[in-house]
Amino acid sequence: MRWTLLGLATIGALVSSVVLGPAAVPLGDLFRSDIVWNLRAPRALLAFLVGGSLGVAGASLQALVRNPLADPFLLGLSGGAGLGAVVAIALHIPGPWALPIAAFVGALAALGLVYRMGLIGGAGGALDPRILLLGGVAVGAFAAAITTAIVSLADAAELRNAFLWLWGGLSAASWDSVLLVALYAPIPLIVLFAASRPLDLLALGEEPAGYLGADVAAVKRRVYLAASLLTAAAVAVSGVIGFVGLVVPHIARLAWGHHHRALLPAAFLGGGALLAIADTVARTVVAPRELPVGVVTALIGVPVFTLLLRRWTVA
Amino acid sequence: MSALLELAGVRYRYPGATRDAVAGVSLSVAARQFHAVLGPNGSGKTTLVRIALGALSPLEGRAVIDGQPAAGWARRALARIVGVVPQREDNLFPQRVRETVLLGRYAHLSLWGRERPEDHAAVDRALAACDIAQLGDRWVWSLSGGEYQRVRVARALAQEPRLLVLDEPGMSLDLKHEMGLFELVRALVDSQGLAVLMITHDLNLAARFADSLLLLSDGRPVASGAPAGVLTQEIVETVFSWPVAMQTIDGRPQMVPLRQPKESPA
Amino acid sequence: MRRLLFAVLILAACRPDGRTAGRQAQRIVSLLPSFTELLFAIGAGDRVVGRTTWCDYPPAALSIPSVGDGMPPNIEAVAARKPDLVVLYNSGPNVTAAQQLERIGIRTVLLALNRLEDLGPAARTLGRLTGLEKRADSLAMAMDSLLHQPPPTSSTSTSLAFVVWDNPPIIIGRGSYLDQLAALAGARNVFADVTAPSAQVSLETIAARNPEWIAVLSDSAAPPSFARRREWRAVRAVREERFLLLPGSLFGRPGPRSGQAVRELRALLERNGVGAQHAAPLHDRSRR
Repeated sequence: MRWTLLGLATIGALVSSVVLGPAAVPLGDLFRSDIVWNLRAPRALLAFLVGGSLGVAGASLQALVRNPLADPFLLGLSGGAGLGAVVAIALHIPGPWALPIAAFVGALAALGLVYRMGLIGGAGGALDPRILLLGGVAVGAFAAAITTAIVSLADAAELRNAFLWLWGGLSAASWDSVLLVALYAPIPLIVLFAASRPLDLLALGEEPAGYLGADVAAVKRRVYLAASLLTAAAVAVSGVIGFVGLVVPHIARLAWGHHHRALLPAAFLGGGALLAIADTVARTVVAPRELPVGVVTALIGVPVFTLLLRRWTVA
Repeated sequence: MSALLELAGVRYRYPGATRDAVAGVSLSVAARQFHAVLGPNGSGKTTLVRIALGALSPLEGRAVIDGQPAAGWARRALARIVGVVPQREDNLFPQRVRETVLLGRYAHLSLWGRERPEDHAAVDRALAACDIAQLGDRWVWSLSGGEYQRVRVARALAQEPRLLVLDEPGMSLDLKHEMGLFELVRALVDSQGLAVLMITHDLNLAARFADSLLLLSDGRPVASGAPAGVLTQEIVETVFSWPVAMQTIDGRPQMVPLRQPKESPA
Repeated sequence: MRRLLFAVLILAACRPDGRTAGRQAQRIVSLLPSFTELLFAIGAGDRVVGRTTWCDYPPAALSIPSVGDGMPPNIEAVAARKPDLVVLYNSGPNVTAAQQLERIGIRTVLLALNRLEDLGPAARTLGRLTGLEKRADSLAMAMDSLLHQPPPTSSTSTSLAFVVWDNPPIIIGRGSYLDQLAALAGARNVFADVTAPSAQVSLETIAARNPEWIAVLSDSAAPPSFARRREWRAVRAVREERFLLLPGSLFGRPGPRSGQAVRELRALLERNGVGAQHAAPLHDRSRR
């Protein structure tokens, strides 16, 4: 029953993304419209893929670090991506893919740093999730500081616009970017889905999980890397879209509990549907102007999150 | 009967420590045997169990499980033979009893496959063996300490192990539940032929229920064997640095700690 | 002349509170390219002793020492030029900078310069402050008349959209002087319904409103980088490469050359050729 509802919500979100928009396209012309096929359709699909990736990454990370407040962007990736993007703009690196590639490289650099910090006992050691969290915050703050320094020293007007990009937006969506993400995302997604049962075990603690048969060190490594790679791609393609990775797993848990074999797919569909809806709202609510989609997800996410918190404190 | 778990002369020192955590310890547990490891705090009991389970590699000596070196076992394969009830566990997320016991089947499940009828049957058997079948649908957070401990034992049993290892299972349990737990373990050994290794603080219960004791002090073995031979007054008083009186109940030694007389000023 | 200058400096130094209402400014630091151009246009160019790095017109301005990019103003660098007047654009950070300058005894004036109608008053104020009222007034009249000149009549009204950023797409709305330039040149800004000077819009809105031209501020003759992006090709003007490439120095700010900007834009539109229309940079004008 709940899967049916989720499926309907997903289809509804995708359809409304394609049908609704600031440009009035009559329903009859929908299939012939260039705007629908070359702008709205890829944008809806990209929103779905990015939102789904963030939902799964968030759910996995919350299980990995055993902290329900974990968000994919706590790992310093958004700081690294922002720094990469700003450097690309400040150095006037040419090419239509300069920004996403630079952001991706920046995110990977942050990932590498935090990963190395999280390895206790040197290069052969095991990941300590608490250090991952703290290291992520530190690396993110450091990257943000350098970013601000660059912005203050370089051409101000262009870099102001870089911050708008950072706030999250799917305006660069095209069939090219959809194809890229559709080819890239399945691999980390499959790795995470395969780790569903070990993540269930991890909820008991690392020692008990190991005794029940999980290869804890390998699971931590794989989950962290896969979730980070998903997030890095999401940031590269669409900037920092907050709250999806944090809130969608909690909403999904209300219906599917902590059984990750069901939770992760539900988080994927739910995250995808949420971002598609948020993007439609961002495009239509102040038409012809457009809100940054990160603003819409925050405006939706914060009240939902508050409600969830109240549920927990009451229970 | 061949030993399922065997430690021979193991020695281990934690990196950066000045003393060995354990030295010269040997232990052998076979099916239908209940071994208890005793000793004051810091005597090396937990270290010994970690070596036994392959989590630590001994600097000297051998740790062997079912004929293979303990450290060489893959986690998943080991979980099909050895069920562990560790000292600490926190279950962050709310769960029902059946679900948490079902986690014990992980080592028997394939990567993508669903839980099969035989997995659910194993859970049923485990719940029944621990006498908590009626708790199956209860939320774990609503259980008493004793009930929760039985759930953890059931989860270990769901692994269908041949060896059960328990680390201080009776800690923070009240009298009734602690007795119940020891009775449960004894029954599992007698009826299902499990091998059991248990670390415990409780000398008296270990003496009453276990077949064989190993008493450690400062990482070194002080005495091992049948309870009567291990828990003698001199040995207990030396190891635990406290005066005791010994009694015999059901043929097993029981120790009664004496009150320390107050030093009267001369 | 030099002694007069010297005396003024001595007097300025003796009175830390430099409020000398009515005294003509002789050493002016200009913190906005438009003000630099205005000062030169009213004949006060030789009194400008400090400019920002962006002030590049007229060419004589380039030999004036720079006091930084002005965002925010570098107080020490400005003060080092020993000005008796600092002209700032009226914005939040500049108000603070002005207060700091006043505190160390340097006279400041904050002028609004957002739209073409601000040019006249700005010129007149500068004229008053420099004692060059006559030239300032005639310049102001010319700039005011620019506003009131009738737009050219043409059989079809050309439509355009100014795109200042591509990701996310940011366009110019009615509140900006660029919109005024377009109107005076006979073009319709498809985003004239947006009241703000600039705003983020969906790409599909640009595609749906189908402007005939995409105008960008650019000093190069090559189409902008977003022209190659697949999603932008949903906009007809991008597909057909109908770009108006407008040099930043001339089009990027309101100033005495705004009339020239209007004329050049009108010429580009009337040319109505295929491919990117580049308004040649100043040094090339003679060759057109």
